[in-house]
Amino acid sequence: MTLSRRDFLKLASLVTASAALSSCAPVYRKLAGNLPALPWTALSASDFLALNRITFGARVEERARFAEIGLQAYIEEQLDFESINDFSLDLQLSTFDTLKMQANELEGISNQLFDGYDREKVPNELRQATFLRQLYSKRQLYEVMVEFWSDHFNIFMDKEKEFFLKTVDDREVIRKHALGNFRDLVWASAHSPAMMICLDNQANEKSHPNENYARELMELHTLGVDGGYTQKDVMELARCLTGWNVKEHFWLGDFVFKEDIHDTGEKNVLGLSIQPSGIKEAEQVIEMLVKHPSTAKFICTKLARRLIADDPPEQLIEKATQTFLNTNGDIKSVLRVILLDGLPLAQPKYKRPVNFLLSALRMLNVETDGIALHDYLVRMGQLYFNWPTPDGYPDYSEAWQGNLMPRWQFAFALIRNELNDTKHNLNALLDVSSTGILQDNIDSITSLLLGAPLECLTRDGIIDSVRVAGATDQETRQIITASIIASPAFQWR
Amino acid sequence: MLTQTWLPRLSFAPVNTAPRGDTLVVVFLRGAADVLNMVVPHGEDAYYQLRPSLGIARPDDVRKKKEERVLDLDGFFGLHSNMSPLLEAWQSEQLAIIHACGAPDESRSHFKAMELMERGVDDERGPASGWIGRHLATLNTGNSSPLRAVGMGTRPQRSLSGSVPVSALRSITDFHLGGDLRALQQMRAALETVYAGDVLGQDTLSIMDTLQKLDVQNYRSPITNYPDSEFGLALKQTAMLIKAEVGLEVSAIDLGGWDTHFAQGSSTGLMPNLMKDLAEGLSAFHADMADHQNQLTTVTMSEFGRRASENGSLGTDHGHGSMMMVLGGNVDGGKVHGKWPGLEEGQLVGPGDLAVTTDYRDVLSEILIKRLNNPATNEIFPAYQQALPNIIV
Repeated sequence: MTLSRRDFLKLASLVTASAALSSCAPVYRKLAGNLPALPWTALSASDFLALNRITFGARVEERARFAEIGLQAYIEEQLDFESINDFSLDLQLSTFDTLKMQANELEGISNQLFDGYDREKVPNELRQATFLRQLYSKRQLYEVMVEFWSDHFNIFMDKEKEFFLKTVDDREVIRKHALGNFRDLVWASAHSPAMMICLDNQANEKSHPNENYARELMELHTLGVDGGYTQKDVMELARCLTGWNVKEHFWLGDFVFKEDIHDTGEKNVLGLSIQPSGIKEAEQVIEMLVKHPSTAKFICTKLARRLIADDPPEQLIEKATQTFLNTNGDIKSVLRVILLDGLPLAQPKYKRPVNFLLSALRMLNVETDGIALHDYLVRMGQLYFNWPTPDGYPDYSEAWQGNLMPRWQFAFALIRNELNDTKHNLNALLDVSSTGILQDNIDSITSLLLGAPLECLTRDGIIDSVRVAGATDQETRQIITASIIASPAFQWR
Repeated sequence: MLTQTWLPRLSFAPVNTAPRGDTLVVVFLRGAADVLNMVVPHGEDAYYQLRPSLGIARPDDVRKKKEERVLDLDGFFGLHSNMSPLLEAWQSEQLAIIHACGAPDESRSHFKAMELMERGVDDERGPASGWIGRHLATLNTGNSSPLRAVGMGTRPQRSLSGSVPVSALRSITDFHLGGDLRALQQMRAALETVYAGDVLGQDTLSIMDTLQKLDVQNYRSPITNYPDSEFGLALKQTAMLIKAEVGLEVSAIDLGGWDTHFAQGSSTGLMPNLMKDLAEGLSAFHADMADHQNQLTTVTMSEFGRRASENGSLGTDHGHGSMMMVLGGNVDGGKVHGKWPGLEEGQLVGPGDLAVTTDYRDVLSEILIKRLNNPATNEIFPAYQQALPNIIV
């Protein structure tokens, strides 16, 4: 590690409130205080990796906290998310009016009567808010889970009315239950107008059934594709779900059960004989699905894939599955097992674009409103709520390797402070954590971004290559910082 | 340390492996082009009864000025005079027209029809990825170029979405790290070092080098001039990418503005200007790429056609049947393909629209199978049984 304990103590005395942003700081920042510029605590490779799984990229103060209390206590602190004060973020989002609106209000402000619909305003606000939450929220594990469930119950905002209904789904389904109980999450999603429309259940009628939602409810939301259901089960569940629908006009966006298009015959799903009982039929099936062992295993596998490794260890999945079943799908209990037992076994994962952007911004204490990053997410292929298929953005590393250019462009544009209303705080960070010597600076930066400094030979090789190309020390510092963000190593977490 | 050698780069395993075929250029005319005024059925009396003001005069109608008349193609159909730049390709039999072509969707909603067409599906069910995306995912051509498929514009077209990464390119100059030449050399040197031994990184650096040598501003085709429009620029850049051999297999280009409900113009005006841009662009591209015609197919499409009759505001409303053009060295050109359904009462469908007699997926399937070496049309257009219309020689 670059920083000895003596260095650390010496530098700690230099910590003062950063003045770098005070002149142009936004109001919420003036009220809530600046982002802290602390010298970063050395973490072991496994701790650095762990912290980068339960956050969108380790901030300096998160490193310090983690080093202070250890993994287990850190996880407990994050799981108890409602106790974490998020004042600064709340303040920043207080002007995002659409986040609080009901579907009919959202429709109202989007409908420009003679000019059709404004399909940008509502989605843009939700996307910007999602970005700011991931960037600034102190409830990082909660936001990590919000992202996970947003993929799991994926809704594509470009489809029909989803451009405003997703805002309601995000609030009432995903964020409401992200660290709650899995049964409540599925239940809420099944009553979410956005999901009904996304998977065509509003077109599922007795006279012409539509199997789309019924299939995905089993294949993607609960049992998994190999979870033991058949095509016959899909058709029978679709019959149960006839009439699960969305209100129109003034009540637009409310869930409704339409008795008149419901198939009133007997059904049989997964061996369970279902007597005609209207809306209760599919409710019965949902209760059965969320308790099914296949569901527990499927959800635990996906969670372990997101948090631990592309191919997570079987034993971990089994233990988590048992916990899932024993606790009736208590998400926090399952996460405890996956994180505490799994993180020591974690394998590197390729950063998805959101993770890549966020980790750079968080580690470098970047101040931004997020708007300039929208374009980069588009070009890297992970604009929020823009994955067209119901399976959510892929979670396997291989799906994301192949589009380096926008990542490189982002790295250099960020370090040159060329992104609109986006400013990194590298110098303030270096001021408190490193000497003025270039080699030391590079060591500090690499341990900030990669968890540990480079071997001297590698470091000096890069410095030489940039100097040979004619760079001054200041330029070298910038270019190397950017190229570390652009490097293969930083693409993994 | 900077290269994670312990994790091999995995690749997808597409169903088919084949050498890459033609470069495919897909031009989408957004807004529903009024194809009846582009390729005019001048042999049909009903056309003139339905369009007393907007109709384009017969080739022999001496009451009209020559430039206001249709350019005859085959005695029954003729081109709008603003489409005349395409006559050369027609005469050399490298331009095929498929009339009364389109999708089964009857919604007459731009949004819905475009979505379904770009996904290549009949209705909301079925895969949400795009048909080009599924083409890329089902064919392994051994080409891992980040420019294998490019959407010209700020974001990739819906048709490109899928498991294979694609690039959006507003301009070739976008593929650039910014900064002046000195800064660029420094950045390049740093990237070269951190990506030493990394195949994808080195590929990306070399494409960057290649593209930086291309001068979009001063590119002149030896033969022809591209129109000074966004569409012209997109085609010009496609030509430059093909010539630079950066692994381009598909280029998707949009030309918008075809939603002509109001005062669309017959021989001059809004829509004739669009036709001019389209035809000048395509013919410039065709001429510029003369040496590549055996490895190139260009296709145009639009989400639906417009009402056969003009409306009260000298425009046309949303209709049904459209038209596709296919341009390239292996096209059965100089012909209007497809069964003409007619414009008489009883022949029109819905509120008075041209019927669809050839599904757009038939045309695309034939191009995919015969020119792009991809037989997986069942996956590209699921739940659709195609009938090849024989537009490729």
